[in-house]
Amino acid sequence: MFWWYREIMKKILSNTFASYFLAVVLAFIASGVFIAAMGYNPLKAYQTILFTSFRTVNGFTQTLLKFIPLTLLAFSFTVPYKTGKFNIGGEGQFLMGAIGATAVGILGANLPTYILLPLVLLGGIVMGGLWGLIPGWLLYQFKISEILTTVLLNFVSFALVNYIATAVWGDPTAGHPTTLPIGDGGHLPMLVGNPPLHSGIIILLLVAVGIYYFTDRSTLGYDIVATGANPRAASVYGINTRVMFVLGLLIAGALAGLGGAIEVAGIQHHLIEGMHSNFKILGIIIGLISGGSSLAVPFVAFFISILEVGASAMQRTLMIPIEVVYIVEALVLLFVLLSDVVRRR
Amino acid sequence: MTSGHEVILQMQEICKRFDTLQALDHVNFELRAREIHGLLGGNGAGKTTLMNVLYGLYREDSGEIFLKGKKIAVNSPKDAIRYGIGMVHQHFLQIGSFPVVQNIVLGTSVKNRFTLNLDYEAGKIKELCQRFSIEVDPFANVNELPMGTRQKVEILKALYRGVDILILDEPTTNLTPQEVDALFQTLKVMVNEGLSIVFITHKLREVMSVCDRITLLRNGQNVTTIDRRAATEEELVRGMVGETMDVSKSVIFSKGASEQINRSLSERVVLEMEKVHCVSEQGIELLKNITLRVHEGEIFGIAGVAGNGQLELAEVIVGIRPISAGEIKVYGKSSSQMISSDLLREGITYIPEDRLEDGYLPKATVAHNLILGAHRQEPYSKKGFINWRKVYEVSKELIKEYNIKTSGPADTAANLSGGNIQRVMIARAFAHAGDSLLVAHNPTRGLDIPSMDFVYHKLLERKRQGYSTLLLSEDLDELLLLCDRLGVMYRGELVGILNRDQFEKYEIGRMMSGVKRNL
Amino acid sequence: MDISQGFITFLRSLLLTMVPFVLAAQGTMLAGRTGVFIVAQEGIMLTSASVGFIVSYKTGSLFYGMLAALLVGGIYGVLIAYMTTTLKMNQFVIGLSFYFVGVGLSTLIPKLVIGVTLTPPLIPTLQDVPIPALRQIPIIGDIFFNHNILVYLSILISMLLYYFLYKTSWGLEMRSVGENPKAADSLGINVSLQRYIAVIIGCMLIGLAGVYLPMVYTGTFTEQMTRGRGWLSSALAFFGGWRPLPIFLGSLFFAGIEVLSYRVQVQSVGIPYQFLLMLPYVATILVMMLTFKRSTTPAFLGKNYDREKRTL
Repeated sequence: MFWWYREIMKKILSNTFASYFLAVVLAFIASGVFIAAMGYNPLKAYQTILFTSFRTVNGFTQTLLKFIPLTLLAFSFTVPYKTGKFNIGGEGQFLMGAIGATAVGILGANLPTYILLPLVLLGGIVMGGLWGLIPGWLLYQFKISEILTTVLLNFVSFALVNYIATAVWGDPTAGHPTTLPIGDGGHLPMLVGNPPLHSGIIILLLVAVGIYYFTDRSTLGYDIVATGANPRAASVYGINTRVMFVLGLLIAGALAGLGGAIEVAGIQHHLIEGMHSNFKILGIIIGLISGGSSLAVPFVAFFISILEVGASAMQRTLMIPIEVVYIVEALVLLFVLLSDVVRRR
Repeated sequence: MTSGHEVILQMQEICKRFDTLQALDHVNFELRAREIHGLLGGNGAGKTTLMNVLYGLYREDSGEIFLKGKKIAVNSPKDAIRYGIGMVHQHFLQIGSFPVVQNIVLGTSVKNRFTLNLDYEAGKIKELCQRFSIEVDPFANVNELPMGTRQKVEILKALYRGVDILILDEPTTNLTPQEVDALFQTLKVMVNEGLSIVFITHKLREVMSVCDRITLLRNGQNVTTIDRRAATEEELVRGMVGETMDVSKSVIFSKGASEQINRSLSERVVLEMEKVHCVSEQGIELLKNITLRVHEGEIFGIAGVAGNGQLELAEVIVGIRPISAGEIKVYGKSSSQMISSDLLREGITYIPEDRLEDGYLPKATVAHNLILGAHRQEPYSKKGFINWRKVYEVSKELIKEYNIKTSGPADTAANLSGGNIQRVMIARAFAHAGDSLLVAHNPTRGLDIPSMDFVYHKLLERKRQGYSTLLLSEDLDELLLLCDRLGVMYRGELVGILNRDQFEKYEIGRMMSGVKRNL
Repeated sequence: MDISQGFITFLRSLLLTMVPFVLAAQGTMLAGRTGVFIVAQEGIMLTSASVGFIVSYKTGSLFYGMLAALLVGGIYGVLIAYMTTTLKMNQFVIGLSFYFVGVGLSTLIPKLVIGVTLTPPLIPTLQDVPIPALRQIPIIGDIFFNHNILVYLSILISMLLYYFLYKTSWGLEMRSVGENPKAADSLGINVSLQRYIAVIIGCMLIGLAGVYLPMVYTGTFTEQMTRGRGWLSSALAFFGGWRPLPIFLGSLFFAGIEVLSYRVQVQSVGIPYQFLLMLPYVATILVMMLTFKRSTTPAFLGKNYDREKRTL
């Protein structure tokens, strides 16, 4: 009786994209039930969540501004993930990048843009990379699980941000741990003045293309994929897997650090305590939904950016707690993972 | 002798499917009381799968099992044990860090549940040892025991549970010829004590020497079940390989193919090892004073019971494991400072023993797997980028030539079956084998007989072309068939090197158990 | 006299501070002993803290709050065990997903139930329960025998786990599953069942560790109040070689560092307090540098077992 249903399911499941789409739809239905149970109207909530980004130019700009750091944070999860390592330290590397960028921006405040801006970005990349290199080194030298070291270093970076934003370059008038502003030469040029959209998006697109070519086309990328597929076999056939682990974490740190630098140079122009709190571990979630694929990351990151921007609007206009979007995102992730399980069968 | 007893176990019309592979196709099997029943067939014939179904490790898709005429359902090993069925697996299922007695009593109810004092159980084990004349110390740690003893622990596990039916899966794999004889003695004692035994093997000689009846499987189907005394070797060979293979042209069954080869040694030495030592990180000596030379065009064999340093020998040659003293030269050039990536460039290729751990990338594509190790070389890679078009082209050719069953180069390697993984290993090694040395460790493990023969042909072809091979194998027959010279390893030492005219099985067996011979 | 008084207070607060570490790390250890590596501690602890606090606040009973925390932990346990053991999904991926879920739920639930308030809602913190007679012993009585119930419980649980794992046949079976599930399976031990039991009980202990924070330290739930204690417990399990007694001793060490960093902050010795905040995390990394290589871990930690998966 339901043969047609089984046939359709088989078709959908044999197509990766279709099965993920189905997973997303199911996740929305399931969280809709949840939202309704909490006493809110799920349709209204979804309307706001999904369409805020496209209703106004401002909404779209907001989405793009979220999209930039989220994509970089997601890459900072997927690159080491390809070698089989889990980078939970994206937040900390992002903050260290922000610290590096701010330090350069304050110390070289009088330099012209064409010198200061590259230095600011470089400062972020270097500091973030360093923060990724530490777990890499601990893994290389002492075989300490990178899951633990990356996440523990997050807490160190939180304290460090507070220290720098109060004791070193603190701005006592700010009322919240914040540093002095970086020099004007360190600001990213604007693509659009109002609503403000900075040129970080161009950097991001270049990075995304570069990451794709690196992981999927280059010989080094092959080494990384082989290492992640089976480190022992990869090392038997001449790949220095321990170096690949370190490289993966180093690149991860640099990417997240770049994200922090762009956030400072493009939007905040200061180092502010808690400036990472809009992104938290969303990078990991995006990376996991993408299944580690460099090609999928930007698309998933854009989707999550839409949800995040929509959720803020939902909290403002409908008084529905913003955390509701966590449920949606978590269920999207779980259903995507489950669709892999179903497809395996 | 003991046949002619009543049937105690019947398996009828058993079917089992793994994804695309029909592993068992309406297989029937019957076991009589107090018989040793040989379950014969090449790799992939379905022998182990059938017995895993009986032991409850696999669930059959269809079919029925009768024990003493009553239908039974075996859903887990727990059920199997309850029905008096025990199984000794080819790869021992032991917990190395636990002592023997804990490994044996695990899962049974013990006397002192709340103190875990196992003296009483150890006493019972000692009694069993006496009854079946087996020697094992119940309080020894399993990972400190030699392979032969570890197998005895496996047998004791079954005996301790008082089984009536004992399945032994390729039990001779890790034994010297002498130990094999002793095992066969033990089997006869067990039959006299009332057990019935299923003996899984791919070796004709073993079934002919110890079994009462023989069931022959091929490609998951019954071929025949006959009385040993009525069986002839020719008939069994034909049954094992099927119609598609020309036995007269095979290396395995026709002595001619390997005997007609010119076995004289060339003057040029490809690999030279001089007093090589290797000490592990824990300070254990893994290789002691290894000296050997492999000449151009030679197949040099390494025999020994598994775990006597063969793996370490292969690994120091291919540069995965550093040596502590001595020297290794490839074409006269010292390689002691080289790591595996350098040696790959020197043209050394490697078929690792543990293909799942050491040779295979499950999460990558088949194409990734086929170029592993050669991926930095032309034509696969240019200026730091992989030429995927070329890689796919070559992969498609290899898939065809080596008969790898897969949907194509982009297929995830995790979808491959065991035999096909081994074909990938073989294809990769032969496709990229340079003119220097191939180090092949158990290259035919898991292959069916025609594929095994294909590998033998390839190895002999290499020899004819003047290329050399170091063949490390747990299968003594394989070594005797192919090698020009043979080294025997025992506890990390090379106890002797024999020329082809000195090959004698029991002599090699003595060396495998540590009896030295002047080099 | 003043110094000895300070020393007594230090030892007392050591026992007080070790509790979340002991409970969370022993829970992690128990699941790890069957081969399931939980990495969702932080999320489980936060949700349990949040729900346990709310239940206590609404019912006025800390006991119900603890039960709620155990229940929350148990639910996470069932879900994690189902996804890793039955569906055979990657343990780390699942762990991270539930970490995310847990962090989100922990802030969502108070908003839904209590709403946003100007002053934080408070519950009374857990009472000390002096042990009669023993309490009277000078010094020792002050240090050991005048604590809240969870302090005693965490010591008891550590000892029980040691006894269970090493001195009973059930413990032997449970350990065998983490060492070689296939061997255990072939001897009729139900690998899935063992993993479910260990993961569920383990997650319940982690949940209890979470609810300790509002019940003893703050009297209320605040966002991210675990401050990495869940992750530190994972490190602690490695540090203790996945054995109950060394883990207990390790918890004392971790507690010592936490107490020390507070003390030095209070006494303001010229070190910026932010560096003292970093101390527990940096110290943990340093300790792991010394011990991680030598740590014995269950052979199948982090690996799922599939009976019908063919290995040859």
